[in-house]
Parts: sequence; structure tokens; C-alpha cells
Amino acid sequence: MNKEQARQIIFEVLGEIAPEVDPAAVDDSSDLTEQLDLDSMDYLNWMLGINQATGVEIPQRDVSRFLTIDGAVDYLVDHSG
Amino acid sequence: MIDFMLPSLGADMDLAKLNCWLVKPGDTVHRGQIIAEVETDKAVLEVECWDEGVVEELVVSPGPTRIPVGTLLARIRPIEGAQAPPGAKEPAVEESASVLGPARPAARQEVQSPPVRHLAHQLGVDLARVTGTGPVGEITREDVHRAVATVTGEGQRVKASPLARRLASETSLDLSGVPGSGVAGMVTASDVRAAEQSVPVRPAAGPEPSEPEGRAETMRRAIARSMAHSKREIPHYYLANHVDLDRAFRWLTAQNEERPISGRILPAALLLKATALALRETPDLNGHWVDEGFRPSDAIHLGVAVSLREGGLVAPAIHDADRLSLDEMMARLRDLVNRARSWRLRSSEMSDPTITVTNLGERGVETAFPVIIPPQVAIVGFGKVVDMPVAVDGQPAVHPVVHATLAGDHRVTDGHRGGLLLDALDRLLQEPESL
Repeated sequence: MNKEQARQIIFEVLGEIAPEVDPAAVDDSSDLTEQLDLDSMDYLNWMLGINQATGVEIPQRDVSRFLTIDGAVDYLVDHSG
Repeated sequence: MIDFMLPSLGADMDLAKLNCWLVKPGDTVHRGQIIAEVETDKAVLEVECWDEGVVEELVVSPGPTRIPVGTLLARIRPIEGAQAPPGAKEPAVEESASVLGPARPAARQEVQSPPVRHLAHQLGVDLARVTGTGPVGEITREDVHRAVATVTGEGQRVKASPLARRLASETSLDLSGVPGSGVAGMVTASDVRAAEQSVPVRPAAGPEPSEPEGRAETMRRAIARSMAHSKREIPHYYLANHVDLDRAFRWLTAQNEERPISGRILPAALLLKATALALRETPDLNGHWVDEGFRPSDAIHLGVAVSLREGGLVAPAIHDADRLSLDEMMARLRDLVNRARSWRLRSSEMSDPTITVTNLGERGVETAFPVIIPPQVAIVGFGKVVDMPVAVDGQPAVHPVVHATLAGDHRVTDGHRGGLLLDALDRLLQEPESL
């Protein structure tokens, strides 16, 4: 998986949780939960959706890598086959 | 003949319009089965039936007219020997297929519990052809899901995300014709959008769309009515307590380390479970103020305040919250929040809460001073978890701490009783492994 593919999946899943979000308006390097007003259930659903779409498991110790879009993209690129 | 009336739909929700029937005359209905969809100012609700029988007549047709609670909706001919005892209402229990706990006592008495029958009905599975693998041979949700794999043709429900369903309903798109690209063939919102560009949109028929313009405004008015009523009528008292979450968080982190994402437990589930157990010790905070008197509730149905992205909030119930394992609590919470945000709640969930919990800390404030939702007599609030200095064995340490608050109805309890609830909450959260 390359960065562009990872980003597409990440926003596809995000669109299911926060349909009003415009990907172009998201700052990829800042905290996603604060930026998009996501609560812990939204955040968990987002990671679960990414996991289901990609098959990449996200252990609890790595959850902090998903605080930003950039972090999530890098994680998926690093951990996908 | 049983008269099926429009049930109570929650505080200050006296009117609703009937969006659609999910049964027709001649259909057999079971306790807990969802038989209609109605819409109030605050939510689209699935209405459950609490009788066994055959639908004789649908009295009210779907349409935009708002009808009052208590209106005769349908007549049901009881099945001899199968009628529920008077007042034997049992809330529908939505078990997660992946987190099947021990069967509830009420469900064990029947070969299939109402939720299993409902699931089978939804998925078009004939239970007579399913072999049960439950502890006493009853059919479980997993059995039903297994059976779905072999069932084809009409009656099978299309797997689709809530947003996909909403988008499809807005344009009357038939989801069964949409190829799903999601997990296990699930239809996603982008599938619907793609299908809409290639399929001519049919004009909406029957009831008006379930999302009329200005829903945020009507919800705001409903909240205003309820909260004005509360502040006008209920003499609130407020209490607060810091709760050290160090042990609870260490335990939860260790638990979650060993779990896949789908099985992870959020701190909110821990706080809800502790609240439910604490209420067993203070039953005079759990119930309703009705006819100038307090009616305690034997069951603890925890209302959970869920904020909606488009504004407003709803506080549907997690039924029998004190009897759920932590995994079950998490599964219920996830299910409830997801359905609340896709406007798919049930009538009993809106009418049943015996107390409410609000977790405003999710949105960044350290302390919540919540307003009681009538006719309930108390509400518990949790603020943001913050690292704070605390004294441990006489020495300073920095621990995660949450500010737990309680608003109580002074007509029913005094601050002393409320304080006992917060004390119990604190004590229970120091022993997370026993929750």
C-alpha cells in the first residue's frame, strides 16, 4: 500500500463517521480528534473501520500513532503487505 | 383482541408520526419484535410490540400527521397460551454476536429470545430450520448468522453501513441492487453515491422522507421543553467528587493490550458499569417522579447522553446495565451510540431510562453540572480525565483523575444519599477487576 492508497482508505472510513468532513480542509499533521470533534467512540470506530478495510491490526500500544492523518498513513504504509 | 397503542416515547415526547409498518395483517408478531417506525422531534424510533399474536388490523396508516401517545395503532389477535402476563414488559436486548454472555434468566425460559427472533426476522431466517447451540439448546445469534450464510433469495437483509442506509433512503435507492465494496460485501456510503450516479432516482413514495428539513431545530425545541420543565419543577442539588482512575486505567490498558480493536473497552464503559453497580446501593436515586411521588425502579436502565454531530443530543437507555458484563456493556454502548447517530433508536430505549449519565469530558470540560431529565430524579456527570497530583500513602503522586458529579432531585433525596452514590462509585472504580 502506498501513501495515496492509505490516505484514500483513511478518509473513506472517516466519511462514514463524520460525513460532513471535507478531506481538503483537514490538516494532516494536527490532532484529529480535536480538529474534527471526534469522541472516543468515533475514534475507536475509525480505527476499527481502517482495520477491517486493510486487515492491518492496530495494537493498543500503537493507537497514539493514529492521532493525526500523517501518523495513520505512515502506520498503514509500514504495516501493510 | 389486544389494542396496540403508540407507546411512550420519552420525556415530553407526546406526538409522533408513523413512518412505516414493518408488519402486515396476518403476520405473527412476537414479544420484543420491532413492528413499526415512528418519528418524534428528537429521533426516528423503532417501535417494539410486547405481545404475542397475529396482526388483525393496522388502524393507522403511515403519513405526515402527528398522532398522540396512546393512539390505537393496530389490533392484534392473541395466540392462545402464548400471551405475555400483564405488565411483563421486557426490553429488547441487543446482544453482540461476538460478545455472547450467559443468557439472561428471562430469555432462558424460551427456546429463542426475542432479540434472536428479531434478528432472524430481519435476516429472513426460518428458525424452525436452525439448530440451536446454546447452553440449553436454544438458538443463539451466532446460529442465526451461520444460517444466513446458507439462506439466499428474498428476505435476506442487505449489509450496509448506517450512513449508506440513510443516503439510500433519502433518494429511495434500493440497496439490494448496490454492489458492496466494504467488509464482507457491506454497502458503504461511497457505493451508494456511485450507484446514484448510474441509477435513475425513483420519486419517493409513501411516507415523507425520514429526515425532514429543520430536524436540528425541532430537536432543539424538544430539548428546550424538557430542560425548561426540569429547571422549573425540579429542585436540583449538586455534588462533586474527584475519583482517582490510576488503578482502573492501568487495569483497562492491560486488558486492551491483549485484545483486537473490535474487543477493546473504552473508559466510558467502565464508568457506566461502576455507576450502575453504585445505584444498587442507592435505589432512591433510580426511578421516576410520577403523580407527585417517587416511584423507584427495580431495574437499572442507564440513560446515556449521546451528542449528535449535527447538534443536539439524545439519552437512550442501556437496559439492565447493572447485570451486564463489561464486554456486554461495551457492546451495548457501541451499538447504542452508533444507532443514535444514525437515528435508529427504539421506543423502549427512549422511554425507559431510570437515571442518565453524561460524559461531557469527551468534549474537553473537566466538570459537568448536568440537568436532570424528567421524570428521572438524578443524573451523573463525568468530566475530562486529567493528570492531577494526589496523595498516595502520604506521598504526592500524579494520577489520572476524573471529576464525577451528581445532580439530584431534592424532592426525593438529600445530599447525603447523593454523596453515598459518589462514594460507592469511587470505591468500585478502585477495584476495576470486579466490575
